[in-house]
Amino acid sequence: MEGEATKGVLSVLSRLEMQARSRKAKPPQQQNSVKELKSTIDALITQRDQLKAQIETQMCVQKLRAAMDKQGAHEADEEMDDGSENSKLLRLMARHAQLKDLLHAHHLIGGYDIVKTCQGKGVCVSLATGYEGVYLDTYNLEIDLKETLRIGRHNIPPFIPVNSLAEQSNMQTDIRAFLGALSQHLNAFAGRKQQELHKSVEVLETNALCSILVLLLTVPREKIAVLCTLDYADHTRCLPTRVCIECEDKELPGSPHWKNNITLLKETPVHKALITMKKMGYIV
Amino acid sequence: MENVDEVSVLQGQVQRLQAEVSALQAQQQHGRRDGTLPLTGRLQDTLAEVCGGAGGEEALSRLREEVQELERDLHRQTELNGFSLSSCSSRSLQHGGGVLVQQLCIAGSCSELDFQVEFQLTSDLKEDQRCERKVTELNVVMDASDQQALSSFVSGVEESRDLLLFFRSLRTFSERCNDRRRTFQHFQEKYPAVVSLPGGCGSEVMTLHHPELPGCVLLVHWSVEVSREGGVTSELDLLTKIPETALQMDSRAVGGAAEAFQSLLRILGPEAALESLIQAISA
Repeated sequence: MEGEATKGVLSVLSRLEMQARSRKAKPPQQQNSVKELKSTIDALITQRDQLKAQIETQMCVQKLRAAMDKQGAHEADEEMDDGSENSKLLRLMARHAQLKDLLHAHHLIGGYDIVKTCQGKGVCVSLATGYEGVYLDTYNLEIDLKETLRIGRHNIPPFIPVNSLAEQSNMQTDIRAFLGALSQHLNAFAGRKQQELHKSVEVLETNALCSILVLLLTVPREKIAVLCTLDYADHTRCLPTRVCIECEDKELPGSPHWKNNITLLKETPVHKALITMKKMGYIV
Repeated sequence: MENVDEVSVLQGQVQRLQAEVSALQAQQQHGRRDGTLPLTGRLQDTLAEVCGGAGGEEALSRLREEVQELERDLHRQTELNGFSLSSCSSRSLQHGGGVLVQQLCIAGSCSELDFQVEFQLTSDLKEDQRCERKVTELNVVMDASDQQALSSFVSGVEESRDLLLFFRSLRTFSERCNDRRRTFQHFQEKYPAVVSLPGGCGSEVMTLHHPELPGCVLLVHWSVEVSREGGVTSELDLLTKIPETALQMDSRAVGGAAEAFQSLLRILGPEAALESLIQAISA
């Protein structure tokens, strides 16, 4: 059933394409001679029929594509195959579109986008980073495939220990473990950096790896300054391992409210914790 | 002298045809944008070449080669990424002013874990040609049986819309579950008299029956959990089921079993610790 339609559509398209090429369509302008008008009409009819046939073909391909998505490429093949050249072409086109979309999907979910380089002597992988739905920087790494795998060029910042991660995760035998560990470090770094950007309080100290953060908080009524140090000793995480509160008022850090705040800062990303603390009136 | 009537009739026809052509072109444009007519430029060219008659054969074989190359590429990505994607569909919800909002649905599996994610992706093309992308809504559906261990993580991820975190953690979770399954299966095959897997090799529990002491059962509980933050942790615990009579006989030997096992774990790691434990029982 599908076969008949496709046979018809594609042969019509062929014919129209040839017609269009053999005739030079005049640009539509005010024409007064019957002969000119008739020739313009013929050209427009060809163009219209061509567009209709193209749209119908595209809808055929789309239907095939939808069936492929549901059933899997090979089963859809058997159902719609009438053996004709046109049917083969349409199936190829549907498969082409499906493959491009699947590859794009791999990219969107944070895949490594592995690409061969230097005539197969190496590969290049992309490490995507993101935080809370925002796609952030992508880092690239070349790996040379000689007798042993060797890390080539890359744009990973120096404070991420690429070589030691490669050793620890046995890159030679388990490249996925290496890439997973590297991705974990890069994403945690990206997350910490992203949290810092939401700065709603004064940042007294930070470092390139965003593994330490010293904030100056102010208690509203008494206007007391509180120094809050966040230590992110575990570089694979976006939450601090240690939170330290210092204040002229020695009682304050031990008070139940501030003990809660410390817990909050340990369990919630800093930008969100600070918003909560502001709402609750603990800081300005 | 031309017939004025004929001319105006023909002019009317020209106008109607021009309107039809514009409408069809608009339909094609619209279809390309909202995904119902998805042919990219590449396929459009191929279609034109094939239908044009001349060079059709060549265009067809080039398309075939391209499809084969795409298949190889997809295989490479699947191998390295650890995800097997079965479908990806997209729909354009909003388009204009450099901002594109799409609704995407990606389905697939990670080892034995099936998933389906639906999300909204906003792409903002900035002046400096950078494209800012953001997931603005996320819905994750997983198999009911897999949901349990992952449920708090999944609801956290849906809240934060962290699509990338979901997939990173899913992959790690799947790898740890596979480690567990392989280890359990290995021991069941090696020591069939002692080891049994009441819940199958995919479950969390491996039971060890003492060959000499019926009723004395050691339960190895190996849980793999994902925290709300996305961290994957494995925990092995040893539970003992010892009947009263045996306990009276020699409680010391049995009592410290759980702690002893934890020490073994710390020193030897899961596989070696389990091996030692099983051998101690079988001896």
